[in-house]
Amino acid sequence: MLREMAVAAIRTSKLSKDYGHGHGLFELDLEVSPREVFGYLGPNGAGKSTTIRCLMGLIQPTFGSAFIFGLDCRRDSVAVKRKVGYLPGEMPQFGSLRGKEVIAYLGGMRGGVDPKLVRSIAERFSLDLGRRFREYSSGNKKKLGIVLAFMHKPDLLILDEPTGGLDPLNQQEFYKLVGETRDAGATIFLSSHILSEVEHVCDRVGIIRSGRLVKVADLDEIHRIRFHRLELEFAPGSEVPEAAIRSATGVEDVVVSDHTITCTMKGTFDPLLKALAGASVINLVSHEPSLEEIFLTYYRADETPEAIAR
Amino acid sequence: MTAIRLALRLGRWGLVGFATVSFIATFINCVGFYQVAGHTQAEREAFAKSFAQIASQLTVLLPPPVRLDTVGGYVQYRAYGSLVIVFAIWALASASGAARGDEDRGIVEMILATGLARAQAVAARIAGFAVASFAAALSASIGVILGAGAGGESFPTVPALEEAFLLAIFGLSCYSLVLLIAQLVAPRMATGVAGAVLLGLFLLNSLSRTFDSLATLRWLSPFRYSELSQPLAPSGNFDVRATLVLAGIAVAGGVLAALAFTHRDLGSALIALRGPARPPMYEPSRSLIWRIPVIRGIYDRRVGLTMWTAGVSVMAALFVVLTKTIVQPLLSIPGLATYFAAFIHGAVYPSFLSFIWFGFAQLLMSGFAIAQVARWAAEDTDGRLELILSNPVSRTQVLLERAAVLALGALIIAIVSGVAVGIESHYQSIDLDARRLAEASLLLVPFALVFAAVGALLSARLPRATVGILGAFAFASYLMLQFGPIFDLPAWVQDLSAFKLYGQPLTEGVDQTGLMITLAIAVAGFAASAVVMQRRDVGA
Repeated sequence: MLREMAVAAIRTSKLSKDYGHGHGLFELDLEVSPREVFGYLGPNGAGKSTTIRCLMGLIQPTFGSAFIFGLDCRRDSVAVKRKVGYLPGEMPQFGSLRGKEVIAYLGGMRGGVDPKLVRSIAERFSLDLGRRFREYSSGNKKKLGIVLAFMHKPDLLILDEPTGGLDPLNQQEFYKLVGETRDAGATIFLSSHILSEVEHVCDRVGIIRSGRLVKVADLDEIHRIRFHRLELEFAPGSEVPEAAIRSATGVEDVVVSDHTITCTMKGTFDPLLKALAGASVINLVSHEPSLEEIFLTYYRADETPEAIAR
Repeated sequence: MTAIRLALRLGRWGLVGFATVSFIATFINCVGFYQVAGHTQAEREAFAKSFAQIASQLTVLLPPPVRLDTVGGYVQYRAYGSLVIVFAIWALASASGAARGDEDRGIVEMILATGLARAQAVAARIAGFAVASFAAALSASIGVILGAGAGGESFPTVPALEEAFLLAIFGLSCYSLVLLIAQLVAPRMATGVAGAVLLGLFLLNSLSRTFDSLATLRWLSPFRYSELSQPLAPSGNFDVRATLVLAGIAVAGGVLAALAFTHRDLGSALIALRGPARPPMYEPSRSLIWRIPVIRGIYDRRVGLTMWTAGVSVMAALFVVLTKTIVQPLLSIPGLATYFAAFIHGAVYPSFLSFIWFGFAQLLMSGFAIAQVARWAAEDTDGRLELILSNPVSRTQVLLERAAVLALGALIIAIVSGVAVGIESHYQSIDLDARRLAEASLLLVPFALVFAAVGALLSARLPRATVGILGAFAFASYLMLQFGPIFDLPAWVQDLSAFKLYGQPLTEGVDQTGLMITLAIAVAGFAASAVVMQRRDVGA
């Protein structure tokens, strides 16, 4: 355990998987510390799943290396997977097997599964293990994947877009589970393409774009990076506090049109809410920008990922 | 039109495969007729007389023949008798796949989301299969015309086209029936129930030839209407009314299937039988079976394995039952003398069983191995292998467990079918050496492993083409061994057959060299696939 604490939970060095035509993963240098929750953020096709498959030893890197708790992901893949719980981006088909049989089947291969833990996670997510896999909704399939990933109390969890298909209540339950698992001593590496999601649970975030890691940031920096597009509609005939809004910290790009104001908001909402004190707001719509919008806002559009990384 | 094109695209491999099989079946039987039936009218009449005796023993499977002394009559009986069964199986696989398989994969949902009405979606599928079915049936007719041409005769086009139309309409009627049944029952039961209904209709018609009590019910079976026409034989006929009934079944089945599809939920049956309400279950299965390597694989495949075992064993018993009644008529056909001389040494019946039954058993066993290889390829493409490999098991372990599951499955089939041969031969007073019967049965296991090893290697490189390549190789091997002597194929060509390695263990004992080569190929194949498996990307 002491040795594990000393080495990185995940370390990659120049890890590359070239699929040609600019697709793949290129020269990934990444280090995730033990007991850290690391969010791996990127738009679709950025290389998140490719990275995860390299870590799981499922695909052979074109170049570079990856280590989990000091073990080579390719050479020592069996030993690596003893320490890892894995949730794939899409659950495969198990046809007419029941949920309980899928768990027994894959748990039988792994060994060391705690039935009490299985029961507790299944109950927590209201997942009926007596039903057949083909009868499960996509959300229930994802829940089964979560049980499979967590059921043996792994040291490291590698989760590929874990909340896809889960409803908001189950997403919250999942975030709680991740927090508890981290508190119990595990490291968690999860991928997502939604910035607000990783904010909920992660200590640090790595942002990947076009196969290259462009940014590794802690939560404070993420909070600085993120912004919202706001649309405020005021009651007809009421006063629009344009000046107060323009002077509020974090508010930019203010456009006034009749009784509607659109603007972007960085950081916390507190200064804006203070500026709106006494105003008659009848509608407020907040849009979370996509990752691409964040990139275009914070980095010049013509800048290459390599340049951004520098 | 786009929906029909999509239906054709989804079924294109079925079309190519069944069109090829149909062509080969008719062409080879035409060429075979000229090889074995003789050249004078007297020789052909003698051949027809002997063959009619054999046919009289097979009425449980095939309708009575007409004019076996002509190439048309012979092909009508030998090729089209079996092609009717082949087209029914194709219709079963294709319709249950269209109704339920595509629904499981979300294809149906996507198609309906485009705004296509459900009735239109069903109509497009039926139209797609109709085109495929006509194309395959037409290729069978081309096989007849070319086969007759190879024998120096010209075959009239009209009967060939009538036969193509009849076969295609028959396939279409089966397709519509299966499509209808698939709407009515739970998705996981669709193929099984539809298969049981088609088998029931087949047996109803074929058994009615023997049991008069069933004759009043055979109007229910589309198989009945397909055999009322025999247009290829010179004195045969094309029954327009029977063909119209088949068309009526196709239309009525399609309309009812469309109605049922319109009124049911996607993923559910029209007639949903709800089980008793039960509280949700949160415990994993405590069964020990899932923890034991190999046994868990057998348990996972238990339904399929039971069907394979039962099917092969029933076929084995049937071959033994028929042996005594058909061997003598076959031996009396002069054209087959060279053929029989190739394998009958000493006792006739054991020799016949050794060559004919165990030759066919090899084909069935290669089919079993290919079915397992197809499952391995599917595990890779649908992501199941990725999840399996996320456990602390090496790729070599996965490969070895797959091979062991296949070997154990093949062993179960070999033992049960071997026992079936032993028991039935005892009842038929055919004297078989028990030790040699055991050896012949057990030798089917390494034979299956050869196909599995080659399949494992191929599926690592060409997962989508593996089943087709292996299936073609197995079928070609079978034909080379069974028909090589009839067509005077050179010895080196016959030696290319994988079946040659098996030898004649029931009559001549184990061919040690063949066994060693078989084992060497199996070991080398699995070793090579272990190396490839180690290096390849999974789930990419």
